[in-house]
Amino acid sequence: MSVEYLVKISKPMLEGAGTTISLFLIAIALSVPLGFLFTLMSRSRFKLVAGFAHTYIYIMRGTPLTLQLLFFCFGLPMLPVIGEFLVMDRFVAACLGFVLNYAAYFAEIFRGGLLSIDKGQHEAAQVLGLSRWQATVKVIMPQMFRVALPSVANESITLVKDTALLYAVAVPELLHYTLTAVNRDFNLTPFVVAGVIYLMMTLALTLFFKFLEKKFKYE
Amino acid sequence: MSIIQVANLKKSFGSLDVLKNVSFEVDKSEVIAVIGPSGSGKSTMLRSLVNLEQINGGSIRIQDQYLVKDGGYASQQQIKAITSGMGMVFQHFNLFPHLTVQGNLELAPRTVQKLTAGEVRRRSQELLGKVGLADKSDAYPARLSGGQKQRVAIARALMLNPAILLFDEPTSALDPELVGEVLRVMKQLAEEQMTMIVVTHEMGFAREVADRVLFMDNGEVVEAGTPEQIFDNPQQERTRTFLNRVVRV
Repeated sequence: MSVEYLVKISKPMLEGAGTTISLFLIAIALSVPLGFLFTLMSRSRFKLVAGFAHTYIYIMRGTPLTLQLLFFCFGLPMLPVIGEFLVMDRFVAACLGFVLNYAAYFAEIFRGGLLSIDKGQHEAAQVLGLSRWQATVKVIMPQMFRVALPSVANESITLVKDTALLYAVAVPELLHYTLTAVNRDFNLTPFVVAGVIYLMMTLALTLFFKFLEKKFKYE
Repeated sequence: MSIIQVANLKKSFGSLDVLKNVSFEVDKSEVIAVIGPSGSGKSTMLRSLVNLEQINGGSIRIQDQYLVKDGGYASQQQIKAITSGMGMVFQHFNLFPHLTVQGNLELAPRTVQKLTAGEVRRRSQELLGKVGLADKSDAYPARLSGGQKQRVAIARALMLNPAILLFDEPTSALDPELVGEVLRVMKQLAEEQMTMIVVTHEMGFAREVADRVLFMDNGEVVEAGTPEQIFDNPQQERTRTFLNRVVRV
């Protein structure tokens, strides 16, 4: 195994990793706020809103992500009448699938965070004259995110690895280029390189979240 | 002229009557100690004054405005205005753990009253000095002892210049050696003519600082009077039984 060979296979694989990272960043940037929105909806006083959020979370958590991705990429265009307007670039469709799926998980993580906050915090905020909204933004949310941080870290790492599901909808990413190289060269090295690239990405994430946890320790 | 008038307060949780017919008045600058066994409704009564509990009947009048009149609540806006004249100190402090001591004091004045940073800072420094914690302004609550936390909570309540301060068992969650520092701050407030209602198990404090003592049992005010009347010459059997069970003072 020569250095030249490593460089040769790494180049397309790193490009593929670029797609992986793009998907990751888009998915995390959109699914976290969307998830929080679902958390708030699931606690709404309006039964219809809460019911919608609960049903949504149930469906997105209760079916495989692969199925959802296949549905968004290949299923939507088959819908009668509106189908032809729903033909999307497969990467875009995949992003949509990831965002909608991960939002459901983040919604549950944040809900857990909210449940962990003592009701005395709400009471103190109320007695100090804060409105419901002010209390949520200034008192409850910062604490909720702190509690949720380890779970969010966990979910983010899962997301990095789940990007490999792009393979199922034929969007070329890291795993796609890895398999191409393995099949072409009949060599296992690309698998190892792919593993190392995934590990580097998850290491960066792990360190980032460790940093956040330390920063928001409040001690 | 009384600053708080409570008449025929009724409150039930399901079939359990927590407050049966509670009436009392508090004059300006008076310190009221509310004593009684656990489950007697003391905390519920106190919490209903700041709208943390909804009552089912009776009237609460604060600074000449009805929070509740014959079971009917004022509008949300009025409730907010009426309760803004009261500060509350909780048994478990309820400090905001994600904010420093200073942040805890300044959150409400900054967000609710929209005061400038400079004004708020001067006031928070002054109050932290008053409760003896000027050096802790940048510390997070997690770094403080229970007694320090409760003193911060008192300073936080004072930031909004309340006319009335309510204390819900302020020393019950403290280690015995930390009780004194909190009671000293409360005593100082009493000397400064702050109107205070203190739900407490500290009989020494009730006797020494309170102007009047309310003894509650089973959702009723059984007996009310000066500390001397209640502690030295209780008229009701239930008061005597309770006082015999707690440590004599």
